[in-house]
Amino acid sequence: MTQQNRLNNGGRIDRSTPLTFTYNGKKYKGYKGDTLASAMLANGIDVVARSFKYSRPRGIVAAGAEEPNAVLQLGATEATQVPNVRATQQELFDGLVSASTNGWPSVDTDIMGVIGKIGGNMMPPGFYYKTFMFPESLWDTYESMIRKAAGIGRAPREKDPDTYDTINQHCDVMIVGAGPAGLAAALTAARGGARVIIADEQNEFGGSLLNGTEKLDGKPASEWIHAVVEELSTYDDVILLPRSTVNGYHDHNFLTIHERRTDHLADIAPVNMTRQRMHRVRAKWVVLATGAHERPLVYANNDVPGCMITGAVSAYINRYSVVPGNDLVVMTTNDYGYQAALDWADAGRNVVAIVDTRDAAIGDRIEAARQRGLNIILGSAVIEVQGTKRVTGVSVAALNSDGTKVVGSVTKLKADTVATSGGWSPVIHLSCHTGSRPVWSDSVVGFLPGPTPQKQLTAGGTNGQYETSTALQEGLDAGQKALANISLTAVEVVLPKVETLKVAAPMSLFHIPHLKPTSQAPKQFVDYQTDVTAAGIEIACREGFEAIEHVKRYTAMGFGTDQGKLGNINGMAVAAKALNKSIPETGTTIFRPNYTPIAFGAIIGRNCGALFEPERYTAMHKWHVEQGAMFEDVGQWKRPWYFPKDGESMQQTLNRECLAVRNAVGILDASTLGKIDIQGKDAREFLGRVYSNAWAKLAVGKCRYGLMCGEDGMVFDDGVTACLGENHFLMTTTSGGAAHVYEWLEIYHQTEWPELEVYFNTVTDHWSTATITGPNSRKLLEELTDFDVTNDNFRYMDWKQITVAGVPARVFRISFTGELSFEINVQANYGMAVWEKLIEAGDKHGLTPYGTETMHVLRAEKGFIIAGQDTDGSVHPFDLGMGWCVSNQKPFSYIGKRGMSRSDCVRENRKQLVGLKTKDPKQVIPEGSAAVLDPKAPMPMPIEGHISSSYWSESLGHSIAMGFIKGGLDKMGDTVYYPLADGTVIEAEICSPIFFDPKGERQNV
Amino acid sequence: MSDVNVMTAAQSAATKAAVMNQVPDSKIEGQSPLHHADFGSLAKQGPQSGGVHLCERKLLGHLTLRCNPNNADQLTAVERVLGVALPLQPLTSVENDSYSIRWMSPDEWLILVPGLETFNIEAAFRDEMPGHYSLVNSSGGSTVLEISGENAIDLLKKSTPIDLHLTVFPVGKVVSTLFAKTTTTIRRLDEARFELVIRRSFSDYVWLWIQDASLEYGLVIEA
Repeated sequence: MTQQNRLNNGGRIDRSTPLTFTYNGKKYKGYKGDTLASAMLANGIDVVARSFKYSRPRGIVAAGAEEPNAVLQLGATEATQVPNVRATQQELFDGLVSASTNGWPSVDTDIMGVIGKIGGNMMPPGFYYKTFMFPESLWDTYESMIRKAAGIGRAPREKDPDTYDTINQHCDVMIVGAGPAGLAAALTAARGGARVIIADEQNEFGGSLLNGTEKLDGKPASEWIHAVVEELSTYDDVILLPRSTVNGYHDHNFLTIHERRTDHLADIAPVNMTRQRMHRVRAKWVVLATGAHERPLVYANNDVPGCMITGAVSAYINRYSVVPGNDLVVMTTNDYGYQAALDWADAGRNVVAIVDTRDAAIGDRIEAARQRGLNIILGSAVIEVQGTKRVTGVSVAALNSDGTKVVGSVTKLKADTVATSGGWSPVIHLSCHTGSRPVWSDSVVGFLPGPTPQKQLTAGGTNGQYETSTALQEGLDAGQKALANISLTAVEVVLPKVETLKVAAPMSLFHIPHLKPTSQAPKQFVDYQTDVTAAGIEIACREGFEAIEHVKRYTAMGFGTDQGKLGNINGMAVAAKALNKSIPETGTTIFRPNYTPIAFGAIIGRNCGALFEPERYTAMHKWHVEQGAMFEDVGQWKRPWYFPKDGESMQQTLNRECLAVRNAVGILDASTLGKIDIQGKDAREFLGRVYSNAWAKLAVGKCRYGLMCGEDGMVFDDGVTACLGENHFLMTTTSGGAAHVYEWLEIYHQTEWPELEVYFNTVTDHWSTATITGPNSRKLLEELTDFDVTNDNFRYMDWKQITVAGVPARVFRISFTGELSFEINVQANYGMAVWEKLIEAGDKHGLTPYGTETMHVLRAEKGFIIAGQDTDGSVHPFDLGMGWCVSNQKPFSYIGKRGMSRSDCVRENRKQLVGLKTKDPKQVIPEGSAAVLDPKAPMPMPIEGHISSSYWSESLGHSIAMGFIKGGLDKMGDTVYYPLADGTVIEAEICSPIFFDPKGERQNV
Repeated sequence: MSDVNVMTAAQSAATKAAVMNQVPDSKIEGQSPLHHADFGSLAKQGPQSGGVHLCERKLLGHLTLRCNPNNADQLTAVERVLGVALPLQPLTSVENDSYSIRWMSPDEWLILVPGLETFNIEAAFRDEMPGHYSLVNSSGGSTVLEISGENAIDLLKKSTPIDLHLTVFPVGKVVSTLFAKTTTTIRRLDEARFELVIRRSFSDYVWLWIQDASLEYGLVIEA
């Protein structure tokens, strides 16, 4: 294929680097420096999409982020599929593969057009609300049908081969947009010594200057741009971010920038490079130099390919050396529209006419057109376009002076391109992100950034200032203001001289009238991407939707991936006209982040895969891995769950591990338990206030179990605390609750009892804990210590400072299994050394490593609770049958005392923790099962309680369970039933939760 | 903060907290939190050039001191023990040849000492310090990384929201902050060298993160 629309000279493309790309399966040529859109236009591709609702052929309208139609699917392979890429912003690279997204059957066939037309007639505004919601069950069907027809892109079905990352930035001045205003601001701020970040969504800096032929200091603008960029890049504290869209402006001058690092290179990022990067910027001052988007005019059949905005026509000609047609008609309400005709004529192609809606206008650009002999038709408009897949001609007619009515006869002109300009809309999106309401300006004919509490400055097009000289000056001023605001001194910046052209006042006109009323005229599109027409907006207004927010939701205007960048203001104007109000009276339009769509990967950054969630390891983790342990997540900890041997099922493993503990000795890595070092003369008093039980008499060298309750009296954590010294305690918490408990202590100390002299420090990671438990545990310990660990010298609930395997240790004789146990704590750097010695010495004693699941079974056999499993924030100590762990004799109150004495907490029939023994000993009740008294009762059955812990006990030869039953402590021996989802019922007897060694003799030997 | 600090050093010592020498004799080798990463081999066999350099300062003594910065007796006692005064200016650090002290919070400091001196220093504190304070040995619970090289700051910028510009983060400054999804205490050692104190249990995550974030710069492990 030839590039029939490519000019031989000029532009910012590199003709020495031709590139090949694919669109809808066909290969085309373009050049380095092209966007996908410019290359498509160069090749004469007219139809790039089918419309959402009516399936009408659509072509490229714009040249930047505002493009509504050329939204393509990219990717040469399944894994590299990217949906919703604006062809106008995608740089061309060799081998790029693109496709239109609504190819059903293809954009070029009219079959779908016919179906679409039928569908379209069946889809008036409000279609979603009126039709799709009822019946709701069909929504899935509707949705897939709409997606298929509407051409919404699709995600890849394979794993993304690329990576994305995030970087944090800080600066004095964040400049958004590197057009003339942004560059002048950056140069001023940088010379003044500020830390500057300047970001622009385009591949090179220059903004609007790249699209025009304007001279700066009598030379091409590119020379000035080049010089400024060169200078900026010499400053250490200036960060230049091309290909970077400032997509979000958040409170406190926090901005998110989406940088496309490699999207211009290939489908897949180079090795070791992230494809995209999210910059999280905190800026002292923000300068918005975001420019403006041109508004197309709304006229009949204004969506036929070949209908564009005038600025885009100039951009394609000047920047990309592409003339997107042969015979041009310009329709404009302002002087800037003339530029497209001038550029078109300069490119040697035919300007059919410039249709100016104003009756008279005197401006330098108009004069230039006149001198070139171009055909200017004043006081008129293009009221309708002919053609389907490409413009073939236009109907021109005179308008009345306020542009509300066609007054003259219709003249038909032949043309293949219609460029329109209804004026420019300042890009105020970012200033809106922080909640600032934009303000309508009659003179600008557009919304301007509104008042804001942010440290924000604005310059250039975003202020409605479209002359380059003004934009430069406003940029310089913003840079100087920013410097002054951060107490830096401005250094002189001499702005380049630009010819200031005389500009006539624009006409405030948005919707071009037709001979027929809007409802009967050919479709006049307002929002191309969501297929919203002027007639649709009028219907919405007639149906009572008078606020623009309601009109938007009713019609879907602005709801596309382009957020209605082209159409929103026109839509408001149409609504205003229908409601006989002014535009600001219909409400303002508010934009939210993000300015353009962002790949999910860029939002996630590196927080995925292995880095999704930190995995916390103990000092013995490597050993567990080498032993083939299965792991369980406890908070962020990876704890060994069980240690299967070859061919063992999980239950077989648990049975073996449980029996080993009951009959010989087991070893558990208990390092993950939270540990808090507490020092100070009031440490003991503090413990008495945060635990429900008493601590006054705990002697040095002793340990005690404690329950911790919230203010409501409900148990939230438990653990053993040891008295290390008169003023020194070591508290243990549950593995998952450590951070919360530590905060809890600090909060109470800092806010309620600052008079208590006590300090807390977390030492969870400092100590490694190897728990050996079982009848042989003492024999094992004796092998590794010279200390006398006999029962006479080392009692149950004592702790001793001894040496184990040559390592100084604190050994706690406490038990979570009911067996004789020693918890050996050593400084974690020596945890593995001691563990390995224990394993080595344990062999002849039958030492068996076990994990958390066996730990759970063993403690359940003893009726020990696990906070968070057998408690759920609604049970107090008495509900747990643990009234023995509450002391109301303490002189000072404790947290939860009042809570657990509330009337609801002391009433009859509260759910209480009991044991449950199944009638069939082999049946294990699923955890969570609900208890009922009569399994044959009609639904919904009255629920008496539920199971919180349930296991098979190999030691006992039957299942065991703990659960809650209303008034359960008084119902020992009663029968309850657990109906299961499969219709079967398990019968169980209420019993004591202590199933094994009820007298607790084994731990005391 | 209520701190009556009525106890003399002798009274304070009489109610000694449980202090123990936690380090065994040298026949038993300690394993730092990143022992499994085997930095020794990586330093020899891994890349010798790259934008990020990483080394572990392992098996140091980590002591957390909490006391009252308004108690002059405590401040002089600290100076007697360490030969250097506590940094009272928030987010600063001080050091002498052997010891370094980081301001952690208004009543908290992290002191790093040679591993074998830990117990002696703890004991000296117990003898010297008057009033209400706590001293906790946390040597097993954390380790120290040093990150340097021309891309050290780039790596840290990917990992922490703190502003590391030399004008706001001068040499000696200390912050405790986020590091990816965990926490760290960062101290600037010189223009392009930073010290990170990280928690043992999160150290493998930090190690994974650093390897990943330095892919584009190249990572050199120093023994």
